[in-house]
Amino acid sequence: MPETNYNPEMAFFVDMQRCIGCHACEMACAECETNGQESMIHVNYVNRAVSTQTTVQVCMHCEDPTCANVCPADAIHQDDFGVVHTANTSRCIGCSNCVLACPFGVPKKEEQAELMMKCNMCYDRTSVGKKPMCATVCPSQALFYGTVKEIEEMRPDSVPVNSFKFGNQEVKTKVNVMMPKGTHTLIVE
Amino acid sequence: MAKLPASVDKIIDKYGPHKAYPPQSGFEGSHEPDKLVKTHCCYCGMQCGIQLKVKDNKIAGFEPWMEFPFNEGRLCPKGVQRYMQNNHPDRLMDPIQRVEGAGFEPISWEQAMSKTVSEIKRIQAKYGNDAFAMLSGVSLTNEKSYMIGKFARVALKTANLDYNGRLCMVSAGGGNKKAFGLDRASNSWADLKHAEVILVAGANISETFPTLTHYIWQARDKGAKLIVVDPRVIPLARTADIHLPVKPGGDSALFGAILKIMVDNDWIDHDFINNHTSGFEEAIEAVKDYDLEWAEETTGIPRQQILAAATLWGKAKTSFLLHARGIEHHSKGVENVLSCINIVLASGRIGKPYCGYGTITGQGNGQGGREHGHKCDQLPGNRDITNPEHRKYIAEVWGIDEKDMPGKGLTAYEQIEAIHRGEIKGMISICFNPLVSLPNNNFVREALEKLEFYICIDTFLSETARHADIVMAGSLHEEEDGTVTTAEGRVVRINEAVSPPGNTRRDGQILMEIADRLGVGDKFNYPTSEDIFNELRVASKGGTADYFGITYKKIVDNMGIFWPCPSEDHPGTPRLWEDRKFKTPDGKAHFNPVSYRPPAERTDEEYPILLTTGRVVSQYLSGTSTRRIGKLVDQYPEPLLEIHPKLAFQYGIKDRDMIKVITRRGEGEFPAQIVETIREDTVFIPYHWGGKQSANQLTIGTLDPVSKIPEFKVCACQLIVTGKKSTQKLTDTAYQSYS
Amino acid sequence: MLRLFQTLNRVAVIKATIAVVIVGFLVLLGSRDLQNFDPALIAYLIGTLFAVFGIAYRYSVWLQRPPTRLYWRRSMNFLFSKDFISYALRSLKLFFKNIIFQRFIAHRSKTRWAGHFLMAIGCLLAFAITIPLTFGWIHFELRPGDDVTYYAKVFGFEAGTFPLGSVQAFVAFHGLVWCSILVIIGSVMMMKRRVTDGGLIATQSFSEDLLPLILLIAISVTGLGISYDYTFLQGKTYQFMAVTHAIVVILWLVWLPFGKFFHIFQRLAQLGANLYKHEGERRGMATCEHTGKEFATQLHVNDLKTLTKDLGFDYDKKDGRNHLDLSPEGKRSALAKAHFEARKESGKFFG
Repeated sequence: MPETNYNPEMAFFVDMQRCIGCHACEMACAECETNGQESMIHVNYVNRAVSTQTTVQVCMHCEDPTCANVCPADAIHQDDFGVVHTANTSRCIGCSNCVLACPFGVPKKEEQAELMMKCNMCYDRTSVGKKPMCATVCPSQALFYGTVKEIEEMRPDSVPVNSFKFGNQEVKTKVNVMMPKGTHTLIVE
Repeated sequence: MAKLPASVDKIIDKYGPHKAYPPQSGFEGSHEPDKLVKTHCCYCGMQCGIQLKVKDNKIAGFEPWMEFPFNEGRLCPKGVQRYMQNNHPDRLMDPIQRVEGAGFEPISWEQAMSKTVSEIKRIQAKYGNDAFAMLSGVSLTNEKSYMIGKFARVALKTANLDYNGRLCMVSAGGGNKKAFGLDRASNSWADLKHAEVILVAGANISETFPTLTHYIWQARDKGAKLIVVDPRVIPLARTADIHLPVKPGGDSALFGAILKIMVDNDWIDHDFINNHTSGFEEAIEAVKDYDLEWAEETTGIPRQQILAAATLWGKAKTSFLLHARGIEHHSKGVENVLSCINIVLASGRIGKPYCGYGTITGQGNGQGGREHGHKCDQLPGNRDITNPEHRKYIAEVWGIDEKDMPGKGLTAYEQIEAIHRGEIKGMISICFNPLVSLPNNNFVREALEKLEFYICIDTFLSETARHADIVMAGSLHEEEDGTVTTAEGRVVRINEAVSPPGNTRRDGQILMEIADRLGVGDKFNYPTSEDIFNELRVASKGGTADYFGITYKKIVDNMGIFWPCPSEDHPGTPRLWEDRKFKTPDGKAHFNPVSYRPPAERTDEEYPILLTTGRVVSQYLSGTSTRRIGKLVDQYPEPLLEIHPKLAFQYGIKDRDMIKVITRRGEGEFPAQIVETIREDTVFIPYHWGGKQSANQLTIGTLDPVSKIPEFKVCACQLIVTGKKSTQKLTDTAYQSYS
Repeated sequence: MLRLFQTLNRVAVIKATIAVVIVGFLVLLGSRDLQNFDPALIAYLIGTLFAVFGIAYRYSVWLQRPPTRLYWRRSMNFLFSKDFISYALRSLKLFFKNIIFQRFIAHRSKTRWAGHFLMAIGCLLAFAITIPLTFGWIHFELRPGDDVTYYAKVFGFEAGTFPLGSVQAFVAFHGLVWCSILVIIGSVMMMKRRVTDGGLIATQSFSEDLLPLILLIAISVTGLGISYDYTFLQGKTYQFMAVTHAIVVILWLVWLPFGKFFHIFQRLAQLGANLYKHEGERRGMATCEHTGKEFATQLHVNDLKTLTKDLGFDYDKKDGRNHLDLSPEGKRSALAKAHFEARKESGKFFG
């Protein structure tokens, strides 16, 4: 990676219950220059028939990314800051292994382009000390980018959790989800 | 004038709405723009700060403006896509005139101007000055709003000027003037963050003012309780502490019942009521019979919930009450507002830190635009056009004889009725799309068809503009300097980022030239927008909305100034009433007795279902601009009929079935979206679309007697299953129902 | 990735050695025991043999990775099945569409495709010319007594003649000039993107993204230099031109297996992935229990369940289902529902 001003003090925090499903993040994501008008963030209704609950999903940047492990083309690279980058365009063969294996449902396959693309935490912005587009515009701050100290002050009854349990598998991530105080792991059954 | 000059399809083919998308790898120059221009979003009363990227006099994208204190970079999807209205292929690049059978053809400015002026003169000579009316809008800056007020009275010399704020917050304005003698949210949003209880009534904040959500969530982080009053479980209500699913039209009954509970439990501030208010006895007398049983029956809300909400509200130490169109768009809109103000005044929680009340103004300049003479009964500084002293002062500022100043004119919807009666024969409109936004729009269309001459100033050919004889190609928000006043009363600066392209002109320039050709050019000599503002400052001086102490420089230095600001050394007033000096004649805040009245149209056997209307997050008002922005359209491409599964089951309706909705005024077909998030007796349709997709074909034109706001939010309808399915491609973002 | 190179992989060494031996044998065979071999090209030959070793080695190591092995085996099984003819035709079609013409890149951007295609076709044509020449598989001779006719020989067999000074001769002997021009245009187009696109500037690296383009331009320019020299300078600077060109080419050959250019060989796996998807669709789709919609082939989902286990991830749930049975949207909703429940149970959505 080139010269960078990426600030390792800054972290990403998600709280899906604050999400109002407005899609501002999705529109803003397309303005991030690393993904050229393709939006990488996911906003979807959980089930509109019963609720307006929406969920918002950025790449969680796993410590040991399943996507990179299952990639047959060595196309997914994790940098020294733990940012898991989008597929290397020259290597990706568009097989969708990562799309289907990611426990968070993050990577997107651009079918025609035979290419997987995913969130790289707005590397063009974070590497020069700016906040990612999605977390900058998010009007409900369901997406927040800042220091642990900041979030602890703002939301004292919540705690950042970066451990998830999917079935028997524990997954640790760089991105945090805000949970009630005392929680250590978000268990997804 | 008459029918459309060509078929709708032919007009749409040429002038849109067409969806525009950014190029695959962004606009040229977005990586290295020539400049970043600090300005504001054009789409709602929040007026979020934003920086536009400019390359070669074109908008190439945006960059969040992190320093602007209200939104600190935060934006909603409309704000993010706001820059896409520039460079739009549908943009009118020349003045055009109607050509029978063919549509429209470009003409020169000289032709457009001379024809316009000769028609104005002809109509006024033949039918009188008031036969030529003007309709305007409050997405315009303060400068333009002020100039239009003056333009109508001084250049057109007509009494009939009104604006689309008439569909917005006039009920709130009417209520606030009665209760406080002044029309502005009493607090800045900063007070919201620390309030203990927040009551939101008829305000779909998460969709219509998304960036305000952060303030409410911050308050909840600090432990605030949230009460949401809405017939639907809007996104804000999903996690609310109490959601009161009020039956459309039941608002004043709910607040009356809450007032009664407060009084019965002595959850009221006697000191404040005794010393600083009047009319308390009459107000409680009006609600003395509003017990829980009656309230449950009238509002459709379970009594325990009403009691729980009243208890939270009654016992709170600090609180903030917010309302918007949900309670204001009623034939008793002012009463609904007053019933809210009554429970605020009874609590005594106003004019103190973290204690607040306010309407959330919908339009970009809904606040400023309603203060400076844009309304049929108003003069700058929120003065009264029927008050001789006010008239005298403004006549002096304008340099005219007070006797020449027209009196009070007709409100927007009354103008439409007057056209039908043959009293209004010609019209000029700017920034208003009544064919989409007024109720009962078949009636509106017939009115437009009766006009002898109609001239429209706009940037796109809106549904209404299609009926014009001449459309003058005006300017976009980012093409003219000015100021706007946000919903919290903060005056902010709009910067010209690019100059009007091609043969288009700034709106101000267009109005000045017409004025000049009508022989009053000397009264409209403004080299810059700042010159208009400086005249506005003087005109507003001494009025309730006093801008005299605000200057462009001061606005920029302070990132906005809250009015009233009577002198240049005054810092502005973020929080009103700390001095307890209300602007009413007796200096007290007024309780107003509110007896519940049912809506104008009630359900019956023929029309058994309640219909209510509203907005979606990806669209703004009549959609003239946002229905042309591809990504916003794709997010929610067509109006859906929200219906509860129980009601749907009764009719055998399945998801995405086309349902014909019929009212006494019209009918339309909409795809069903079956959701548990709406009352069982009510259906909902968003109103941003025109033509056959318009919800306002169905709504009722009954007006509030005081504010003259139409009753958009409740009427009676019937549903017919057509047997057809929606053909619109299913977009995940609008549906995602799995049942 | 890096750890693969820390120790040599035995299987890969053996395979790479075999590959070099086979190529060496073909050189002897094609050049008729070096009769037709041009000794001036010896450095190129050695460089090429090194590249063959490196590519075969890396390819072999690559194929040993579980996900790659899975695709390799599956696609070979599907190809050499009863449907051989239809799958072979399908692969051939895709080979032309996606490997030769790289059409999929056009869906990322049209100019990007144009640049890449010019570059790639230039390189591929250059390979087609230089490799047979270097290996001595093709050579041209003038026969005594006939100094106006070229005789082209392939593997020592006569394959055609053309007159000296003819259009054919001009085209044939300037083949590499044309290739160089294509490569330079393409590389400059690609380079322009890399210095103007903000996203690329933020994420690219010198060695992986800029150096390859610089090398290609250097090879082409020095190659053109040789032509320029003998066309316009009567060979005065031949020595200098030839040596610089050789140095750049050999550097490139040595680096070929380890740097960005290896993607040329990896790209073939795209054909396998396509076969895999096609066969999977025939066998049946997996339906997500959350959305109720088909989202992938059941074959793929099942294979990934096994594959993730091989890689040390256990997404099995207690009830026998697996987290990967959910579609991406289903997974996102499952996470959101779990989060909602946890928040609700705590009694606080905020704070």
